[in-house]
Amino acid sequence: MSTLNPPLVADARQAEPRPGPGARPRRRRWRTTLTGYLFIAPGIAGFLLLVLYPAITSLYHSFTKWNGLTPAIWNGLDNYVYMFTKDPVFWPSLGATAYYVLLTVPASMVAGLLLALLVNRGLRGVRVFRTIFYLPVVLPAVAVLTLWKYIYEPTYGLANEVLHLLHLPTSMWLGDAHVAMPAVVIVNIWGVGGTMIIFLAGLQSVPQELYEAAMLDGAGAVRRFIRITLPMMGPILVLQLVLQLNGAFQTFTQVAVLTKGGPGTATNLLMYKIYNDGFADFISAPQLGYATAEVWVLFVIIMVVTAVLLRVSTRYTYEGDAA
Amino acid sequence: MSAIVARPRPLSSQVPLALSRVAWYALCVLLAISMLLPLVWMVSISLKSNGDIQQLPPSFFPKEFDWQNYVIGPAKINFFRLLLNTAIVTLLSTIGSVVSSMIVAYGLSRISFPGRKLWFGIIAFSIFVPPVIGLIPLQQLYINLGLIDTFVPLILPAFLASPIFVYLARQYFLSIPRYIDESAMLDGASHWRIFTRIMVPLTRPAWITIAILAFQFSWNDYLNPLIYLQSSDNFTLAIGMASFIGDHAGDSAYNYYMATNLLYMLPPLALFFLAQRYFMEGLGALGTTGK
Repeated sequence: MSTLNPPLVADARQAEPRPGPGARPRRRRWRTTLTGYLFIAPGIAGFLLLVLYPAITSLYHSFTKWNGLTPAIWNGLDNYVYMFTKDPVFWPSLGATAYYVLLTVPASMVAGLLLALLVNRGLRGVRVFRTIFYLPVVLPAVAVLTLWKYIYEPTYGLANEVLHLLHLPTSMWLGDAHVAMPAVVIVNIWGVGGTMIIFLAGLQSVPQELYEAAMLDGAGAVRRFIRITLPMMGPILVLQLVLQLNGAFQTFTQVAVLTKGGPGTATNLLMYKIYNDGFADFISAPQLGYATAEVWVLFVIIMVVTAVLLRVSTRYTYEGDAA
Repeated sequence: MSAIVARPRPLSSQVPLALSRVAWYALCVLLAISMLLPLVWMVSISLKSNGDIQQLPPSFFPKEFDWQNYVIGPAKINFFRLLLNTAIVTLLSTIGSVVSSMIVAYGLSRISFPGRKLWFGIIAFSIFVPPVIGLIPLQQLYINLGLIDTFVPLILPAFLASPIFVYLARQYFLSIPRYIDESAMLDGASHWRIFTRIMVPLTRPAWITIAILAFQFSWNDYLNPLIYLQSSDNFTLAIGMASFIGDHAGDSAYNYYMATNLLYMLPPLALFFLAQRYFMEGLGALGTTGK
C-alpha cells in the first residue's frame, strides 16, 4: 500500500500554508478521500489479490522446484535451462502457439472488418443478418467446440459431407497434423461476429461529414476507406489487435476440447502444456515450479508484444479527443 | 459515451463496398446459410435415433424424430444438478461484477481524492495483464484456504471489480453532466446516496451491458471450473459437457450429446433474444472504449 502514501502526503503539505479556517475543510477533505478509497476498495483488493500477489509469488516460484505439497526449494535457473535446452515439447509447443496466433488473429481481424463493412448498410433486413452473424458468439465455448468436434468427425461429420457434396477431396480434419490447426482456427472464424460488432460500432462513430467533404473533393470509395476509415478506426483496430493477441496466446479451451494438443504436438499450445504440467499430472508428477516458469515465459511474451504494439500504434494512429 | 447507442445509418456512401443491392443480398444470404448450417445440423443430429446416426452415407435430416434423446442425454451427465450449480455461480458472479465495477467506477469518476489518477492508471493497466499469471498462485491460495471444490474461487473475483468492466462503467459515468451530482451535493446528499439514487438509474445501459458480459463469461467459463472443482456433484455444465464424450465413448452417444448441448445453449440464447440490443451495442461500446 506504500504507493498510496506519497500523493496524500504531498497534498497535505500543499494545504498547510493556505489561509482560512483550517480544521473544517481539511476534515471534510479527509472524509472525501476516505469515501473515495472506500468506493474503489474492491478494485484495489482485486489488483492486490488477482494481479500483484500472483505476479510476485509466481516469479519466485518459477525459480524453485515445487510440487505444491512440500515447501518450494530454490533451484535457480534450472527450470528455465531445462525448458530451453531439454524439454522435448517446449519448442514444438511454442512453435504451435506462434503458428496459431499468426493464423487466428489476422484471420479474425480481417474477416471481422470485412463483415462489419458488409453489414454497415441501411438496406432492409440488415439487422437480421447482423443477428445471424452474431449468433455463434452467444453460444458457450464448450458447446460450440463439441459441436465442431462432431462436424470434423471424418465418417459422420458435416464437414466431409459438405466437401463430398461439392465433389472436393475429404479430410481427416483434427486427425491430420497439417489440417488440425487451421481446423481449430475455422471454429474461431465461425465466432467472428463479436469482432464484427466492435468494428461496426467503430465504423459508425466516424463523423459522416468527413466522407461528405472527401466526396466533394472527388475521392473514390477505396481512397475514402484508406484515408478516412482506417485512420479514424486506428485506435479501435489497435485495441482489438492487442486484446485478441492477448487472448490467442492464452488459448486453452479450444485445443483442450477439440484435439487434446494432438495429433502429436501439432496443436499443443503453450497454455495447454502449462495446464498439463501444472495440473493434469498433479497426482503423478507435480511440477508447479516448472509450470510457473512456463507461465512467466508466456507472460513476458504477451507483455512485450502488447507494449511494442501500443508504442508503435501511438506513433502512427490518429489520436482523437482523449477520453 | 455516445458510441454506446449505435445508430443505424441511412443508406450512405461511407462504405467503399461497391456492391449492388442484389449482390449484397446474395452474399449476405450465402454467409447466413453457412453460419447457420452447423446449428441446423446439430438440431437434426439431436433428433436422430441411435440407428439413424450410424447410417452411411449420413442423411442430413432425421428419418423419424426421437425426442427421447432430450431425456436420456441430460440424465447421462446429471444435467439438472449441473444446471443448478452453473446457475448459482453465474447469478452470483453477475451480481458481483455489476455491483463492484459500478461502485469502483463511480469512485474513479465522480469523487475527487488524491491518488485517484494513480489507481485509475493501475486498473486500466490491469486490463492488459494476462490472467494466466494467476493460474497457479491462486489455485494454491484457494487450496491453502480450504476453498478448493467450492464455488468461492469462481465467484469471489467477480466481486473484485474486473478492470475492463470498471473501464466501461467509468466511460459511461464520465458522460453524465457534473451539475447533477453537484446540485445533489448542495442539498446535502452523500456520495452513496447520489450513487444509488441518481447514478444507478441514469447508467442503466452500462450495467445491463456489464451484466450480460459477466453472465456470458461465467456461463461459458471452462478453465476455472476445471481447475477449482473436483467432485462431479459440484461441476458446472461446461465441465459436464466437455466430459460427456470422454466418459461415454463411441459415436453412438452423439445424438444424446447434441440434445444436451442444445439445452446447455438455451439460457444464453434466450437471454440474447430478450436483450439483443444490449448484447450487440454493449460489445461495440466495449470495443470502442479505447478511443
